[in-house]
Amino acid sequence: MSSLTIKGLSKTYFDAYAAAHVTAVQDVSLTVREGEFVSIVGPSGCGKTTILNMIAGFVKPTGGDILVGGRAVSGPGPDRGVVFQSFALFPWKTVLENVAFGPKMRGVGKAERDAIAREYLALAGLAHAADRYPNELSGGMQQRVGVVRALANEPEVLLMDEPFASVDAQTRMTLQEELTRIWQERRPTVIFITHDVGEAVFLAERVVVLSKGRVLDEIDVDLPRPRAWDALTEDGDFKALSARVLQMVRSA
Amino acid sequence: MTPLQRAWAFYVRATARFPAVRSIVPFVPVVALWAIVSYADVFPRAFFPAPGDVVRSFGDLIYKGILPEYLEDSVVRLAVGAACGMALGIPLGVAVGLSRRAHAALWPLLLFFAAIGDIAWLPILLIWFGFGLTTMTFVIVYTVLFPVVLNTALGVRSVPTELHRAALSLGASRPRVVWEVVLPGALPNIMTGLRNGLGYGWRALIAAEIIVGTSGIGFLMFDARRAGSVVEIVVGMIVLGALWYIVDGWILAPIERATGQRWGLVTR
Repeated sequence: MSSLTIKGLSKTYFDAYAAAHVTAVQDVSLTVREGEFVSIVGPSGCGKTTILNMIAGFVKPTGGDILVGGRAVSGPGPDRGVVFQSFALFPWKTVLENVAFGPKMRGVGKAERDAIAREYLALAGLAHAADRYPNELSGGMQQRVGVVRALANEPEVLLMDEPFASVDAQTRMTLQEELTRIWQERRPTVIFITHDVGEAVFLAERVVVLSKGRVLDEIDVDLPRPRAWDALTEDGDFKALSARVLQMVRSA
Repeated sequence: MTPLQRAWAFYVRATARFPAVRSIVPFVPVVALWAIVSYADVFPRAFFPAPGDVVRSFGDLIYKGILPEYLEDSVVRLAVGAACGMALGIPLGVAVGLSRRAHAALWPLLLFFAAIGDIAWLPILLIWFGFGLTTMTFVIVYTVLFPVVLNTALGVRSVPTELHRAALSLGASRPRVVWEVVLPGALPNIMTGLRNGLGYGWRALIAAEIIVGTSGIGFLMFDARRAGSVVEIVVGMIVLGALWYIVDGWILAPIERATGQRWGLVTR
């Protein structure tokens, strides 16, 4: 069963200042199986964030279809959880309240949604931070909360828009390892947008290379799991795959 | 350690233990200077009363029951006016901040009417409503309304798009987004609007009381002028300042500390 199907997706903007149509996304088709982890990688301006925004329902496509669990997307909804590059945590809510927000919107009672939130916080090793406000946490911890908040709502698809781009390099590696661990435990369907080739290969089962609004190629990643940077940095298969994807992105 | 440093250390420790000290000490040199100038008889005492005269007059006005009654009148008028101003201003500000169309339609009008400030309305209001409570309430509501609307709209627009999107993709409906995201996000600006609105409203009230004149602190001061009592005018001035100081320190500042500053939306 496919969790997400995209057919002939296009987005054209009209730039009033330039008095011209700009094509951001052109005829993109993609099928993501349930429980699959797909990375979309490409240089900045290749349309990857626009694709994610269309799947999330934030931006209306100018052509094509997006189906999530068989239903057409017509706007933002809780079936598609989003993790933002800027974290987008609610500053006036504690960590616990942030994570419990999705269940709260579903009408889950306070005791139950707090229990759900605590369970997911524990999954990311954040149990101790439950009562803190986001501005009291480091960037890495804030984004852990961002991931957990999206997961706690149990979406059909998890959409991640360069989620680790604004944390330092060491924290990023830790977060990537944690994400692969959580993915293995929970098996959510994930679409992960990044411009970092190593990150795309490390996390995904399949890497989609995007260029100028089109799909250039799709590459399967059959590296063994669990994946950890210590083992993979020297791994021949990982290096070969990364090099192949990098070459494709650079030639794009 | 010099004696000066010793004194400074004592002050720092005293203010740490009794924060109220910090709000009183700055006034000491001002009052001292005032006392020196007045007791030196540079000016005739009838025109330039000494601190002692003012304290005596203050006690006298309280004893007669005039000051408490007038103070209550003024504060109730301001509170009612501010409450109405907020009840109208916050929803209007949210609408203007959220809707492009409401913004396009209302913003120019808001700027225009905000410019015809408070007391510029008095002449026409006196003709319409006469010398009464309606006129005064109108002036205060009008004065409080605009800073609240303009700042609320600004605050609503300053909430990052990502936060709207995050709430929507977690399943929030549009009205829930307003309640859970827009209002708390705009709160620091709403507080600023309220602070300005109350400040302007307080001044407008005093002006309205001077002109409409039946009771209140403004009336007290203007009435004292008629009686040639400079000391009572000074009492009124000090009451005005002290009252604002209390409203700010006991109501507005604690709210700001518990919200925007706590959440990291405003730097301390």
